Amino acid sequence: MGTGGEAWGWLGLAGGVAAAFGLMSWLARLAGLPIQYNLRNVVVRWRSSVATVLGIAAVVAVFVALRAMARGIEASSASTGDPDNLLVVRKGSQAESGSLVTREQFRIIESFEGLARNAAGRPVISAEVVAIISSARSQGPGEANALVRGVTASGMELRPQVRLVEGRWFEPGRREVVVARSLSRRFRDFGMGGEVKAGRARLRVVGHFDGGGSAFDSEAWMDADEARAVFDREPYSSLLMRPTDPAAAKVLAARIEGDRRFSLRAENEVEYYSKQTMTAKPIKYIAAVLGVAMSVGAVFAAMNTMYASVAARTREIGTLRVLGYSRRAVVACFMVEGACLSAAGGLLGCGLARFTNGLATGTLDFQSFAETVFQFRVTPDLMGLGLAFAVAIGLAGSLLPALRAARTPVISALKSA
Amino acid sequence: MTTWTFILKNALRNPRRSVLTVSSVAVSAALLTSMMTLQRELTVPPESEGASLRIIARNKVSLVQPLPARQLAEIERIPGIVAVTPFTYFGGQYNDEEFTSFAQFAVEPRRFRSLLVEGRVSGGDYDAWEKDRTSCMVGRDTMKRYGLKVGDRMKFRGTFYPCDLDLRIAAVFEGTVDDRGVFFHHKLLDELTGDLGTVGTWYLRVESAEKVPGVIAAIDGRFANTAAEVRAESERAFQMGFVGMLGNVAALIRTVNGVIVFTLALVSASTMSMTIRERFREMAVLKALGYKRRDLLGFILAEGFGLSALGGAVGIGGAWAAWTLLDIQRLTGGIFIVFEVTPRIMATAGVVAALLGIVASLGPAISVGRMSVVSGLKTLD
Repeated sequence: MGTGGEAWGWLGLAGGVAAAFGLMSWLARLAGLPIQYNLRNVVVRWRSSVATVLGIAAVVAVFVALRAMARGIEASSASTGDPDNLLVVRKGSQAESGSLVTREQFRIIESFEGLARNAAGRPVISAEVVAIISSARSQGPGEANALVRGVTASGMELRPQVRLVEGRWFEPGRREVVVARSLSRRFRDFGMGGEVKAGRARLRVVGHFDGGGSAFDSEAWMDADEARAVFDREPYSSLLMRPTDPAAAKVLAARIEGDRRFSLRAENEVEYYSKQTMTAKPIKYIAAVLGVAMSVGAVFAAMNTMYASVAARTREIGTLRVLGYSRRAVVACFMVEGACLSAAGGLLGCGLARFTNGLATGTLDFQSFAETVFQFRVTPDLMGLGLAFAVAIGLAGSLLPALRAARTPVISALKSA
Repeated sequence: MTTWTFILKNALRNPRRSVLTVSSVAVSAALLTSMMTLQRELTVPPESEGASLRIIARNKVSLVQPLPARQLAEIERIPGIVAVTPFTYFGGQYNDEEFTSFAQFAVEPRRFRSLLVEGRVSGGDYDAWEKDRTSCMVGRDTMKRYGLKVGDRMKFRGTFYPCDLDLRIAAVFEGTVDDRGVFFHHKLLDELTGDLGTVGTWYLRVESAEKVPGVIAAIDGRFANTAAEVRAESERAFQMGFVGMLGNVAALIRTVNGVIVFTLALVSASTMSMTIRERFREMAVLKALGYKRRDLLGFILAEGFGLSALGGAVGIGGAWAAWTLLDIQRLTGGIFIVFEVTPRIMATAGVVAALLGIVASLGPAISVGRMSVVSGLKTLD
């Protein structure tokens, strides 16, 4: 997502909030009571108001933060790849780490028509090796898996979003590795000049790169042939190539997939990565379950506050009714109050969740079986979702108390202490 | 009227509020119980008696990196080992389902037999599996989940290995901590892949627990400075390694638990203060009648404690009943298997709920203690 898109998102969110408040005050006016009446009531009963607001804020913050985490994982996949590139993996493999492409297959495909050529007249195609190494974490004991990609010069040309930010690129033929800066923070030996152990081999860290928020931010790159030697691998893992144009890409993909000699799958690089989001699924699931369960508790809390509010104002309600306000007006009045209360909680919760925005963390990616780093992404639409969620809690919590208020018989209400 | 009935009547005199308070505490306590169970499921792998005798040896580079099959002869020569088998994770997709939650392993059935310490064959015949190299042994839970019977076929598409499997079910096992796996002949995998001469890991059993550290050191030492260095570890340590790879997930769950406890405290505190503030005048009357500050404090604390303890009991009991009665394995598509609500978890959640009840009523109790009879009697509302 570009910053332009994000700016529009914020504008949309602001518009949504303004519209919601407009709707609320319109409802209040429909009830015939100015919204200030509700707002002042909320302030007068500040103790229970604060408790309700904080309770709802906690629910919304947890919900939004968990969704922001899932969003971050999805975003790193979604912003990976170039629409002009074609990625070839073994049919049936779910990730590059489980894929095999033989050297012979590479030689054949390299000679296919429809591949773009670079200045030197060579086809733009990169045969790569993906391996996993187990390395010590930077914090605490224990090891985690890191993905190492053996790339060629073409491979770097094909991925312009990756740029060097420190040190230099590895030299072909040397046991050197360049690590994504965000990944380097999570492993002990991935700093500049560090020595990464891969079995008996030692790889020297000579540079750090920035993957621009893509999946490459969870990778370490080295020379492809060195990687094949270090990891004792004959075949490659995948091929990345650039066809001359989209039409040529279609023909090329069909030709690779249709060739009986190899059982390979050719896919647009962007499409391939957009499907690598399995890791986000359980987090979304937990967010949904927790959101629902916590909101039930919050509804009870809101009901408690609103019932108390109704009980304390029995005489006031009787007075309003005598003045000519209808039952419907009284219901609308209390519903608006509940909605205001919870909207405040929602805003606070979103604000708290917003602090997690950009927070970098990592977990095990289920598909590549290696550490994936990502950032929490609290986007405007997630905050809008959180706000809507909060208002729904408020409305659900104030419906029964509002009905109770409306049903109060006028005479006994006026008599009550 | 005794003191206790006085407290009980007070707690029940606004039944709606009491029900709401108890319910909100119950929901939070149920959530807390469930989250602690989730944390335990993720961070404490199920333990079994045989696990302390078993060792997994993987390539030092990473679990994904294969080991040469020729290492077998050298491992066998290490004293103290009862049995060793190749143990290769196949990672197949069953019947083209999107996510297959049970694992398939290629093993040598003849050698694997004595590694299956806790398990027993409950259907079909182990010998029949050992004889037929295109057959497999399947865990009872997987048989039940897919409605399979001995003699049926299972098809897998290889996501790691460039071959597919078509296996006949020859035996069923049960009694291990995870009765879901599918085991098949390593020879079949070698045939299908054109004999790569590699295995995923070595799985072995040691004579006695005292010999485990020695065997681990012997294996690591034997292959040090060879092309394929080995990392051997106890089955338990191996499982804990997976937990470490999950990274910050455990910390995240702890944070969520903290937020739930905070919300719980907030709700009960606000309700308790609401309840007490309404009764300020009464409290002043009680004081005037000669009740001591200590008595009033006791009334308030007992009521707060009682309400939240009841909510805690309902919530924790509900969570326990739900996770015990529901088939968690089916519910989550096999991602979680045990999801056991242990007594320790229930006790922790119970203590948290009860303590919160007391802490929540402290505030109102203190202000009641401080108030003078005159100002209390003046209170309207």
